[in-house]
Amino acid sequence: PGSRLTPTGAGQDVGRSCILVSVAGKNVMLDCGMHMGFNDDRRFPDFSYITQNGRLTDFLDCVIISHFHLDHCGALPYFSEMVGYDGPIYMTPPTQAICPILLEDYRKIAVDKKGEANFFTSQMIKDCMKKVVAVHLHQTVQVDDELEIKAYYAGHVLGAAMFQIKVGSESVVYTGDYNMTPDRHLGAAWIDRCRPNLLITESTYATTIRDSKRCRERDFLKKVHETVERGGKVLIPVFALGRAQELCILLETFWERMNLKAPIYFSTGLTEKANHYYKLFITWTNQKIRKTFVQRNMFEFKHIKAFDRAFADNPGPMVVFATPGMLHAGQSLQIFRKWAGNEKNMVIMPGYCVQGTVGHKILSGQRKLEMEGRQVLEVKMQVEYMSFSAHADAKGIMQLIGQAEPEHVLLVHGEAKKMEFLKQKIEQEFRVNCYMPANGETVTLPTSPSIPVGISLGLLKREMAQGMLPDAKRPRLLQGTLIMKDSNFRLVSSEQALKELGLAEHQLRFTCRVHLHDARKEQETVMRVYSHLKSILKDHCVQHLPDGSVTVESILIQAAAHSEDPGTKVLLVSWTYQDEELGSYLTSLLKKGLPQAPS
Amino acid sequence: MDPECSRLLPALCAVLADPRQPMTDDTCLEKLLDWFKTVTETESSLLLLQENPCLVELLSQALKFQDVSSRILSFSLRLAGIFAAQENCFQFLQQGELLLGLFGEAGPLGLPAWNVPSVRSGWIQGLCSLAKHPSAEQFLVDCGAVDTIFSLQEDSSLFVASAASQLLVQVLSLSIQGRATPQLGSSDGDWPSCAQSIVGYLEESLRSGATPQITQALKVLTTTFGRCHHSWTEALWMRLSPLVTCLLEKDTVPTAHSLADLFLSMARSPTFGSSDCDLWVTLAQTLSCLSPTQAGPLALGILKLHVCPQALKTQAFDVLLQPLACVLEAAAQVPGSSGLPDGTGSNPTMADALLASTSSCAALLCQSLAHLGELQALPHSPRPWPQVLLLEATMMTLRFCSGSAVPISSVGGRLCGILASCIRVQRAALDFLGMLSQGTGPQESVTQVFAILLEYLRSPESSPTVLKKAFQATLRWLLSMSKACGSNNPDPHTQPFLRELFPVMQKRLCNPCWEVRDSALEFLTHLTTHWGGQPDFREALLASDVPELTQQLLQDPEAYVRASAVTAMGQLASQGLHATPSGPEHPGAKQKSLPQELLHILSLDSEGFPRRAVMQVFTQWLQDGHPAMAEDLEQFMARVFQVVSRDLDWEVRVQGLELARVFLAQTLGPPDCPYAVALPAATPPTSPAEVLRTLGRVQLLEFAFRALFDCDRPVAQKSCDLLLLLRARTAPGGGLQGAECNPEAVTVEAALRAWQAGEQGQPLGELVPEVVVAILRALDLEGLQATLAESSDHVEQSPRSLLQDMLAAVGALGGHEADCY
Repeated sequence: PGSRLTPTGAGQDVGRSCILVSVAGKNVMLDCGMHMGFNDDRRFPDFSYITQNGRLTDFLDCVIISHFHLDHCGALPYFSEMVGYDGPIYMTPPTQAICPILLEDYRKIAVDKKGEANFFTSQMIKDCMKKVVAVHLHQTVQVDDELEIKAYYAGHVLGAAMFQIKVGSESVVYTGDYNMTPDRHLGAAWIDRCRPNLLITESTYATTIRDSKRCRERDFLKKVHETVERGGKVLIPVFALGRAQELCILLETFWERMNLKAPIYFSTGLTEKANHYYKLFITWTNQKIRKTFVQRNMFEFKHIKAFDRAFADNPGPMVVFATPGMLHAGQSLQIFRKWAGNEKNMVIMPGYCVQGTVGHKILSGQRKLEMEGRQVLEVKMQVEYMSFSAHADAKGIMQLIGQAEPEHVLLVHGEAKKMEFLKQKIEQEFRVNCYMPANGETVTLPTSPSIPVGISLGLLKREMAQGMLPDAKRPRLLQGTLIMKDSNFRLVSSEQALKELGLAEHQLRFTCRVHLHDARKEQETVMRVYSHLKSILKDHCVQHLPDGSVTVESILIQAAAHSEDPGTKVLLVSWTYQDEELGSYLTSLLKKGLPQAPS
Repeated sequence: MDPECSRLLPALCAVLADPRQPMTDDTCLEKLLDWFKTVTETESSLLLLQENPCLVELLSQALKFQDVSSRILSFSLRLAGIFAAQENCFQFLQQGELLLGLFGEAGPLGLPAWNVPSVRSGWIQGLCSLAKHPSAEQFLVDCGAVDTIFSLQEDSSLFVASAASQLLVQVLSLSIQGRATPQLGSSDGDWPSCAQSIVGYLEESLRSGATPQITQALKVLTTTFGRCHHSWTEALWMRLSPLVTCLLEKDTVPTAHSLADLFLSMARSPTFGSSDCDLWVTLAQTLSCLSPTQAGPLALGILKLHVCPQALKTQAFDVLLQPLACVLEAAAQVPGSSGLPDGTGSNPTMADALLASTSSCAALLCQSLAHLGELQALPHSPRPWPQVLLLEATMMTLRFCSGSAVPISSVGGRLCGILASCIRVQRAALDFLGMLSQGTGPQESVTQVFAILLEYLRSPESSPTVLKKAFQATLRWLLSMSKACGSNNPDPHTQPFLRELFPVMQKRLCNPCWEVRDSALEFLTHLTTHWGGQPDFREALLASDVPELTQQLLQDPEAYVRASAVTAMGQLASQGLHATPSGPEHPGAKQKSLPQELLHILSLDSEGFPRRAVMQVFTQWLQDGHPAMAEDLEQFMARVFQVVSRDLDWEVRVQGLELARVFLAQTLGPPDCPYAVALPAATPPTSPAEVLRTLGRVQLLEFAFRALFDCDRPVAQKSCDLLLLLRARTAPGGGLQGAECNPEAVTVEAALRAWQAGEQGQPLGELVPEVVVAILRALDLEGLQATLAESSDHVEQSPRSLLQDMLAAVGALGGHEADCY
């Protein structure tokens, strides 16, 4: 028994999450993310450390995906259709619905810009999604006879969940990415006091107390509004789903309130489907959205229209959401090239960009960009970066640990230095061990499993009859027979056990021979023993039986002549296990010899 | 090295060496190393360092350990290794004692940074790059690196330990192969001192009794025998074999997996596999002393060997068959009558393992079924292959899982309880059952196979993943049956099976799970492709509601299903099997033909999959000369090209261009081939002018010219290829005269230039052939093709861009830290 954990991604980094955990012999992979900074196999976690354990489907009992971001699910089709995992994959229904859209979107971008090697196909994404089993919030799903999982609300993005993995009495909770403060669309993460043996928590903002997301949203609206007011165009490069919808709602509400007329466009054909999912999974959004849904559906946009390529040349202000999010191919890059030369325009990057993209270049302040054929594009438009990522900050992480009350904590998905600080804080405040393994490092946690045992009413009544009421502060010894049957443990009286199991009772007697120097006849020796014991054991019933033996409770003492030495008598002492203590005491007493008889 | 990169390098090195400059992106350092690796593959490292002294300064800076971050230290170690891989550069770095400082005992070993796995990993990778020449071996010995490599074998990081094990093999091989006379004996004196210390370490580890140490030593040996096939490996084995084989004598073998890997690696090596050594005896001994689960992979490995004694193969095959023998035994009325080959009778250990719990039973059966499946696919699968018994055992397993078996023995009863509804075993068994279709079986078995497949396809208990496997297995059996009987002789099993299959399919097409509906449609497409022309199949299909249901699924809420329905309908229509929604039973249905309905999907479906599927169907129909397309083809094509050119999904546009290519090829007719035998042509060859007029009428030219400047590169590339083909056939050097000075041509060229600049502009309108020819000649299609062959981000991904980005990031990163989604 015990848990073992090895991150192959997200160990002291914020890259591609992929954590292998073994709980009481069951192997589970937590998330299967990709790193968008590489174009080769380095984008995927190194699965060779799993495949060396034999066939993947035999080794892994299941894969769990916490949410739809690609750094948590991007390697899934590769893992299931190219590396060869053929077992079950668990995720929440919104993740199940949205995940293929993002995978497909990313695949399209990868193929579109070309030069990507070893990438999965559309058919592979579909085949992978067919292996998914949906897990609803707070529903316990039995993976097999021993392994069960349960999902809790994590905030962060639509459908994000924390997962409890339980095998027998051992359990591990994996938070994925979560947010402890509700935002405009989503509620706060919540978990019950499940007291897991291990809590694996993300630690992106391990040392940060973040300003509220509302401030960032206000700032965003202000910037967009100012640009539009002065007749400029705003480009917001996004990935098809996720942040795009959040920002759409934000702008839609703002446009409505301010009665703005500048058009807002969304460049991909995916809006409809994305919005459909936000509507379908309305129960996963926050209370406010759910309440107002009856009067007005937030996802039915009045101001946001589908984009046509011809619109980019239209005069006057406009806001355009275009994919891909890092300006590395396709529509968003084309619009950027058109608008970059005009200082009235603005590009807002609502997420991070990896090196090797135009997005990365402009965010690092480069304003003269080399284009194909040694052409130079001068960027005069304003460039803004806004992080809308919704992770728990240091306070939130501590709050979650307080809620779940784990025995051990393990930090992933963060930077080493920040983790180190949080680790100390957690250890001080909660007096639990906190770990922060790097990728490839294994943490082993021995656990002392607590096994629930049922007690029979008869046995309890007998204890009660002895007069003492149960007291939680004063544990006391209770004797009974433990019956283990069909993974159930019950403590019953020995009589009941015999009856239930159909067994006959056997008596177990201990015997011992004690040699006494006594030349007298056996009967006389016995008499002397009787008198000696009678004088010492005043509280016990000492009897001299007609057959010449002496009894003290269940202890039987008989005397016999020594076969070789007539001056020695052999005392045969025997007793039952109930009188073991008394039996041992008597034997030692007799071994000391008898008092001299009065002559 | 690109002079521009060389110019940027000093500034970058200064930034990297400056501990106050934050570097947040590790990928940049990785990419920088990739670049240096590429550069040193073609250029002299020594020259590189001499021309760029900043690089040596950067490495020297790394020696001031307290000032350097762990990531820069790790980077420097790896970089130094890359340079020192060339012997003259190694000597150069040695003169400055740089290498000793970085990799020696005075290096990072004793520092706090050594606790960071990436530093240890960098140290190993640096040495891995460096250990390529004889000077390196002496260096490793002198600087005490070998002892550090030993200690890293048990590193807390799997990545570090694994890399350290690879490095140890490399050093061992370098040490021995660098020697003049590689004749090695059992005495220590025969071995070079470095190799001797490695062998001594391995001996000590194997003797230690500690599982992690033994495992690591076995891994080193496995890699050694896998990589090095020289005679010295035999001498190495002679020294170590007593220590290794005595591991097998323990009651439970703690390192079974690693031992099996080692023996298999040896068996695959030409040094051991062909020689007359005790390896086969050891393998046989290992097979018999491992637990059933541990023995499986070893048995499979043995059966995959090209050279191996038959007796050992038989023993290995028995191991794989045993779980299934147990299943047969459990189902048999008379104990011991499993019918499997002699010696394959179920053994008590196996039975115990199977009956212990659902997990162990499922694990064993799944492993055995998967291994047997792998064997079945091999060209040299074991002979005799007990096809009938394997069929029976697999079907029995499936019956145990579904609860349809009637067990007579108590073991059978227990197995029934353990396997009831076990999806994992159901999937594995159906996979294997499908694979067994490759072999032949008696009529009776085949009938039973179809019965059990039908049972699973019909059962409401079958999960979507099980159903998918059942569909796949059914398809494989149907294919194999038709292959066995030949296309003209209908197989006796198929007809009755099909009659029962289609009502089941009807149900599955209405299943609430999209996964099931989709798998059923994919299955239907395959069936129709293979048997659409057979009267039996047509009769059974048309007698069912499957075609109508498929058509209804064109409106499915799930895009994947809609796309599969489009493909299935396309295939049904190709074979004349689709339903026509007319008559009193469809009063509300508009009398829309299938092509019109698909065109409607192409125009209005909000998702790419169905639209892409429609384009594939149209292309297929056009290629096959489907009657639906022949009817007013030009008008239909014009409509399709008009719709597809506006599609937001670039893959749909690419499909559109593929359709255009087929149309163009058909319009042009076969190319003139000087070697072709002149055949009487069915249609007279069309003149280039006529071709161009046709293409203009169907809007193909407008679509292709517009696509040439599409922002999505594959679209532009496809269009470029298409126009090159068109130019070659209609406007070669001579032929049709262009109209370069024609004012219309000037207007069109202006429009194209505007498109190229990313503007949309007005449609081109009707183009006269002469203008088209002029444009085709004026366009630099070859140049465009070369540009489009590169990735759209090749400029951003270039080394120069990398260096610029790293430098630019320095000032910018303070504001916003590394973020994530």
